[in-house]
Amino acid sequence: MENYTRKFLVSVFILFLFFSILGIRIWYLQILKGDEFEKFSRNNRIRNIRIAPPRGRILDRNGKGIVINRSSFDLYVVPSDIKNLDTLLSFLSQLLLIDEQELKRRIYSSYDSQKFNQVLIARDITRDQLAILESRRDSFPWVFVEVSKIREYPYGKLGANFIGYVGKTTKSDLKEYRDLTGFDLIGKSGLEKSYQNYLQGSPGYLQKVTDAFGREIKSSVYKTDISLKQSDPGSDLILTIDLDLQLAVEKILSEYTGAVVVMNVHNGEILSMVSSPSYDPSIFVKGVESGDWKKLISDKNYPLMNRVTRGLYPPGSVYKIVTGAAALEERAIDTNTRFYCPGHYRLGNKIFRCWKSSGHGWVNIHKAIVESCDVFFYEVSQIIGIEKLYKYSKLMGYGAATGIDIAEKYGISPNKSWKKKRLNKPWYKGDTVNVAIGQGYLSVTPLQVAVMTSSIANGGYKITPHFVKEVISSKGQQLYKYKNNKKRIGIGDEYISVISGAMVGVVNQQNGTAKRARLENIEVAGKTGTAQVVALDSIKIKNKKYEHHAWFTSFAPANSPEIAVTVLVEHGGKGGAVASPIAKRVLESYFKLDSQYSLQ
Amino acid sequence: MINIRLLRNFDVGLFFITLIICVIGIINLYSATINIGTEVFKKQILWVSIGLFITILLSLINYRLLLRYASHFYIINILLLVVVLIVGREISGAKSWLSLGGIIYVQPSELVKISVILILAKFYHDDFSAGPFGVFDLVKPFALIFIPILLIVIQPDLGTAFIVGLISISIILFAGVKTKHLIFLVIASCVLFVPLWGHFLKDYQKVRIMSFMDPSQDPLGSGYHAIQSKIAIGSGKLSGKGFMQGTQTQLRFLPEQHTDFAFSVIAEEWGFLGAFFTILLFFILILWILDTSSRSKDKFSMFVCFGIASMFFWHTVINVGMVIGIFPVMGLPLLFISYGGSATLTSLIAIGIVMGIRMRKFRLSESDLSFNKY
Repeated sequence: MENYTRKFLVSVFILFLFFSILGIRIWYLQILKGDEFEKFSRNNRIRNIRIAPPRGRILDRNGKGIVINRSSFDLYVVPSDIKNLDTLLSFLSQLLLIDEQELKRRIYSSYDSQKFNQVLIARDITRDQLAILESRRDSFPWVFVEVSKIREYPYGKLGANFIGYVGKTTKSDLKEYRDLTGFDLIGKSGLEKSYQNYLQGSPGYLQKVTDAFGREIKSSVYKTDISLKQSDPGSDLILTIDLDLQLAVEKILSEYTGAVVVMNVHNGEILSMVSSPSYDPSIFVKGVESGDWKKLISDKNYPLMNRVTRGLYPPGSVYKIVTGAAALEERAIDTNTRFYCPGHYRLGNKIFRCWKSSGHGWVNIHKAIVESCDVFFYEVSQIIGIEKLYKYSKLMGYGAATGIDIAEKYGISPNKSWKKKRLNKPWYKGDTVNVAIGQGYLSVTPLQVAVMTSSIANGGYKITPHFVKEVISSKGQQLYKYKNNKKRIGIGDEYISVISGAMVGVVNQQNGTAKRARLENIEVAGKTGTAQVVALDSIKIKNKKYEHHAWFTSFAPANSPEIAVTVLVEHGGKGGAVASPIAKRVLESYFKLDSQYSLQ
Repeated sequence: MINIRLLRNFDVGLFFITLIICVIGIINLYSATINIGTEVFKKQILWVSIGLFITILLSLINYRLLLRYASHFYIINILLLVVVLIVGREISGAKSWLSLGGIIYVQPSELVKISVILILAKFYHDDFSAGPFGVFDLVKPFALIFIPILLIVIQPDLGTAFIVGLISISIILFAGVKTKHLIFLVIASCVLFVPLWGHFLKDYQKVRIMSFMDPSQDPLGSGYHAIQSKIAIGSGKLSGKGFMQGTQTQLRFLPEQHTDFAFSVIAEEWGFLGAFFTILLFFILILWILDTSSRSKDKFSMFVCFGIASMFFWHTVINVGMVIGIFPVMGLPLLFISYGGSATLTSLIAIGIVMGIRMRKFRLSESDLSFNKY
């Protein structure tokens, strides 16, 4: 073992050396710097301050701000430091006009205060409140104010239904978004919710050494340990929305209860989407007063609901586009096939009426769409049957997601198995008759109708409606860009052009149902719809609640389509009378703006 | 096998030093955990009692059995590491705990320290050349170390993996490596690290390793710990604030005060005198074990003792270095002082092994050596 003697000596030397370093360091900390650390342990506190990241902005297609940020003074309390709770509560209660019990709850019921010492008490206090607070600073060093960024809506209600609102982060949100705290605001609906990951950014941290009076102090002994990380602002969303068009459409629809969507027929870019009535998202920023919230959710006009994507309505005659295309593609009819309309249709012992009780006489597909003859489609429905109709309904996008980047409803596109499963009843031939003209079990969203209209306008391609063109990080980097991948829906060109030709007739022919949508210089194509809310059309309608929904869906210019405009007016009456003039005004606004600068 | 007459040779010195350190640890734990109840304190008393019993028992067992069964221990330990990856329980981010009846949790990774020391000692014992060793001689020991370390890294319990690595390297360097080969090995291990990093580790494991190497990436976690620990120690000054009087400890500014930062509690409440006395005891403990190693009559016991000395050395240097702010914050306990059943038991097993070796000052006979061929 002799050759190991030297190694043992080296080992003992290393042992001695390392332990000497430990001993010297302990001596340095305890004897040399002891007084400084003692003072520190007696008076000083380290505060971990979180720097909340500003949320990304939401801009229109030309970079104009729809949702931006402004500074907010937020009042925080460090609960562990509070020495005179009662005085503090009465002071804050008077300052903020918040009940003392509520204040106490906010201070102590936070579920996310372990990592950070501060608890948010009030967001966005006024400058006057700030001034009073500063004057009493020395009495309440455990209260402090940090500046953060909160949402500002320069155009108020504009786009609120698809932009959505932000609100308090809940416990379940915290599980999903680890970077957030209970004090952060999180997207609760619309784009604010769908793009939360892009918008939120990542927080920074700041460690402050403060004395017992909350004053920041600097000392050499711990300087190297104090850390600072700036927050990373959230990324900006560049929308497909055109702010000027959106403003114009909101104004047009303001006096109605209903929905309008304007969409690029080639790539699904949504240029404008309006759901009326709407709400002011800024009330959510500070935390909604419970009264306001109750008023919003109990409002019978459902201002929080986006009628374009989540409103379900029977499509009415607008759906004849589907029935017509299905019949043509299935070769059940051709352009010369004619049926006689006496004003009603008999199936077994049941009579189905045409909206025009005097009848349309001999009708082919073109005339049936132009004049919206019901009997023609009743006849067609019995030839093709519900399963074929269902197939084309699906191809046109009904009963399924459109894929838009906010929450949407799918609606119902019925067939035999659906009825069996849902209602446990067999399918009757009469059900097919109803579906053929867009009634019965059908329910659709205005967005689905706009997608169908776009497919007709663009020559038979399925497009995905979307709001976000691109996402740009705070450093100017493009993080996301929408990629257009349109696919054919599976209906032949020649049949698509039969339908779109008829839609031109709807607006421009003498006996078309939507003459009121005509524009002077630009040819418009469209289809009206009048959706029955209740089946009892024989009852004289007095109550507004039972009034029909008015539909009009259109695209223009008819020879080289750019946009689709779909209008729905709830309980508005006849589509031709009510919805088509609205569409006309929307189209006018679009082409007026388009001549000023290109919207393409 | 157990020879009671050996008690005449009982290593009173080592047993006594160990006992004092354990008692200091227990008293300190009482102060550190009084705010959260006495459960931790009582558990640690239980662990130390069981451990000391095992220590005495082990000292009476002839260590040649350890040589005989070193491979068995090693393989069983590897199997336990595999089992823990499958059915183990995850506590604070690492899947390194085996449940025994749902009441007691043990960490097989702690035992790896002993298994690796034994298997390496056996390797060098079996090798009759006297070193220094070249690269090709080292392939087998490296393979023996690599398997358990990899399994511990996957858990991921990086602190333990790190210490197992340090102990192994200490033993290998002690045995001797040819200088040129050593340089080659250092370079080669750096190169090998790259594919390991790229292919075998999952993202969350990478993040853990990154923050292990650079704690500033987690300023609110380890940075905060580092400051509070320094304040606790510094403010203890010469004679401390008194037992259970440490403000940093009692007001709970000091994090992990009964585990990784237990030494800070000693330094705060007992001052420089207490802190110095504690590390002096560790110094004597390690010196004593090295002394036992140098007096060994055979290579196996020499390497075993050296390995155990290096285990105590690295645990003490890294843990104390961490709490006084000269090493980054990594989860590694101070043996006997930090709370922890598996670590305490492992350490006391190690002490028992050293005592057993010291009590047998005779060389292994030829018949004992024949166990190798088993």
